Amino acid sequence: MRTFLLKRLPSALLVLLLASFAVFLILRLIPGDPATSLAGPDASPETVAAIRSQLGLDQPLFSQYAGWLGRLLSGDIGPSYAIGGQVADLIGDGLGATTQLTLGALLLVVLIALPLAVVGATTRSRPVAAVVQAVTTGVLAVPPFVTGVLLVLVFAVSLGLLPAGGHESLLREPDLAVQYLAMPAVCLALPSAAVLARYLKDGIERALAEDYVRTATALGVSRRRIVWRHALPNALPSAITVLGLQVGQLIAGAVLVERIFAWPGLGQLIEQGVIRRDYPVVQDLLLLVVAVYVTVQLLTDLAYTWLDPRIRWE
Amino acid sequence: MTALPRPPAPSRRNLLRAGLAGAGLMTLAACRSAVEHSRSAAADVDGAGSPRKGGVLSVAAAIDITPSLLFAQSANVLVQRLVFNTLTRYDDRLQPQPELATSWQVAPDGLSVTLKLREDVLFHSGRRFTADDVVFAVRNLQNPARSAQLRSTAATVTDFRKNGDFELTLVLAHPVSNLFDLFEFMIIPDAATIEEAVAGTRLIGTGPFTLTERKPGSSLSFARNERYWNPGRPYLDGVEIRVIPQAESLLSSLRTGQTHLSYNVRGKDAALLRDDPKFHVKQYDTGSGAYYIGVDVTAEHVSDKRVRQAIAWAIDRDRLVQQALGGYGSVSSVPWPKSSPAYTEVGATHYRHDPERARALLREAGAENITLPFAHATEPGPTAIAQILQYDLKQVGIETVLQPADSPTMQKQLISQTMPALWSLSHGFAQLHPATLAVSAYPFNEAKNSSHFSSPAYTDIVQRAWNRSDSDSPETKALYQQITDLLLDEEFVIDLAIAGLVEVTGSRARGVTLNKFGYLNLDDAYLTA
Repeated sequence: MRTFLLKRLPSALLVLLLASFAVFLILRLIPGDPATSLAGPDASPETVAAIRSQLGLDQPLFSQYAGWLGRLLSGDIGPSYAIGGQVADLIGDGLGATTQLTLGALLLVVLIALPLAVVGATTRSRPVAAVVQAVTTGVLAVPPFVTGVLLVLVFAVSLGLLPAGGHESLLREPDLAVQYLAMPAVCLALPSAAVLARYLKDGIERALAEDYVRTATALGVSRRRIVWRHALPNALPSAITVLGLQVGQLIAGAVLVERIFAWPGLGQLIEQGVIRRDYPVVQDLLLLVVAVYVTVQLLTDLAYTWLDPRIRWE
Repeated sequence: MTALPRPPAPSRRNLLRAGLAGAGLMTLAACRSAVEHSRSAAADVDGAGSPRKGGVLSVAAAIDITPSLLFAQSANVLVQRLVFNTLTRYDDRLQPQPELATSWQVAPDGLSVTLKLREDVLFHSGRRFTADDVVFAVRNLQNPARSAQLRSTAATVTDFRKNGDFELTLVLAHPVSNLFDLFEFMIIPDAATIEEAVAGTRLIGTGPFTLTERKPGSSLSFARNERYWNPGRPYLDGVEIRVIPQAESLLSSLRTGQTHLSYNVRGKDAALLRDDPKFHVKQYDTGSGAYYIGVDVTAEHVSDKRVRQAIAWAIDRDRLVQQALGGYGSVSSVPWPKSSPAYTEVGATHYRHDPERARALLREAGAENITLPFAHATEPGPTAIAQILQYDLKQVGIETVLQPADSPTMQKQLISQTMPALWSLSHGFAQLHPATLAVSAYPFNEAKNSSHFSSPAYTDIVQRAWNRSDSDSPETKALYQQITDLLLDEEFVIDLAIAGLVEVTGSRARGVTLNKFGYLNLDDAYLTA
């Protein structure tokens, strides 16, 4: 495993370096800058120039980029320009909320996708298969902001069962936190669950067509055992790869879902940062997202090899 | 007798399932409801009379505060008067009333004003408020980095003469007619923590509430200032401002009782709540800003003022107010809301929807069938307004190429004077003394504006209206009229509608007020049972 990791690490670091450059450059290409945002409405050009100089935005781009990387490597990423406070604190607070949301959604993805896939792959009833197909297609077709608004209208406004938005810490108030988490997590999980269910269903169907399944059936092994103990584990490796990719989708989707449910996570922070051109917040956050994504891909590859012993670390 | 067969014993698996289901149900039953929890903070009120003490008022805001703009008019208006106080506050007739200043005397020549200050005021840190804090507040606004829109008025203060700790004379470079606009605008901060304040980490003022927690982008929590100088106030135990960027979610939070008050409900949504007895919808006619079309007077075609006037005639302002503002606003050809001393009905209705007249002016100017670039902000509201304007202009033969840009980009273009021929935005600062608009709002600034408009006549009128100590005399009002006439003639800023600031309160919130700059004042606010 160590050799495997050592082989993958340089490419992962290269991805991070390229991402840092892309993030830095793209932000500078967007019109508007932190100085105009900070100067506020009706500011004079002199005020804007003074703020630009104070923030070092009048320095050459390479010097700004090197300064940023230097601060990252030293571990002191400094203050936010516009949102207020230290970037590390802002990211720390947002990370907790987003982790809570994405882990909740990830759990739901598995809980929804697994039964849908198994039922879809094993049922002999055409109506049931059609329902599974319709559910997975429908959920994929409806964008999260529509799902979110519908969920709020039904469960918060009409039925009054769940809060319309907000957040509680799972560690501090677990019973309340679960209720605040329910709708955002469902909203975030549904599209990914549909994707995973489709892949998993195909995988199980392929596994069920294998010779060993026919042999097991001839030996009198129950259908349930064949599906759960043999076909499903064989379908899992490719599904895990898809699940890993879906983590990236969940993080991206969190931006929208957090906005709908006023969830104070990294998505909201990125949005605020972009709107206010808060370069340190956006740069550090986007790089963090890339780092998480790269790590998840590494872990996915490790899980893949663990689930399928035919694949060697090397 | 045949024994009855014993029912099959439940399997271990079934027992486990039943146990888990039972535990789940018991957990759910014992669980507190998050819905009730989010409302309960406001339900903890005591006392039988009215107004009641206690409770936490929850305010829904669409955007978070911008700490660096603490001393400017911005999204910070929700916190400025909660944490801080001003020297005076206007009543409905624009007459200043005491706040931290108990009385004032303007010198007959208008070159100084002497303030007597309250002696019983403490900052949240426990330090006593004195004349030194007023000196610091004025100097703070004079600092260009603070981006205060009334900096030019603050800059007229050239010297400070203290007479003890609670009397202060401000010496002015010249008389100014909007001095009390400055006193309404200028919050009094704590000098020792000013940098923490603009970094958003600590707010220390003399106001009715202390900031207890800020979660950037999410919420701000405030607790009652137990040493507040206003006896018996505030009634509330605390205030929570929740940032809910999505318009639909913000509306849902009001409907479900999670929040009690908001100023960010869209006009069309407010219209839906108007007939609901659970809500009270109020419109402030002081205006939260005025929508306008800005014109670069150096651009091709629109350098001719007849073309600019044609644009003003071409717009159906009534439709704009109804469709884009949900009816919350008033059509107007001038920047002044009805509460302004410069407002006249004749001025407000000067340009009506008259496409024929617009076409005639365009013919006269030789500008038929022209195409102009038109910048607007990408948010849904400004986009809807731009589309309405595009349609109206097309009817008179002016094609527009819409150039959507996000707010920071628009702001940068505005400040750097790089706007295209036309753009639509909103401006503030017309709700007070008219000189404030012409020296503080960038679109109208006589010295430098985004339209590249300059005129000795405009500069002369504005300076004469500003450089005088009386703001209500017939001479001053005549100057206001001259400003209005010049704006209507030159049309470098084509005013369209005064947006009404819409306040939506749940049925339990009472006593909420705003000052003329929209600062939220909750001194007298309370929650009913």
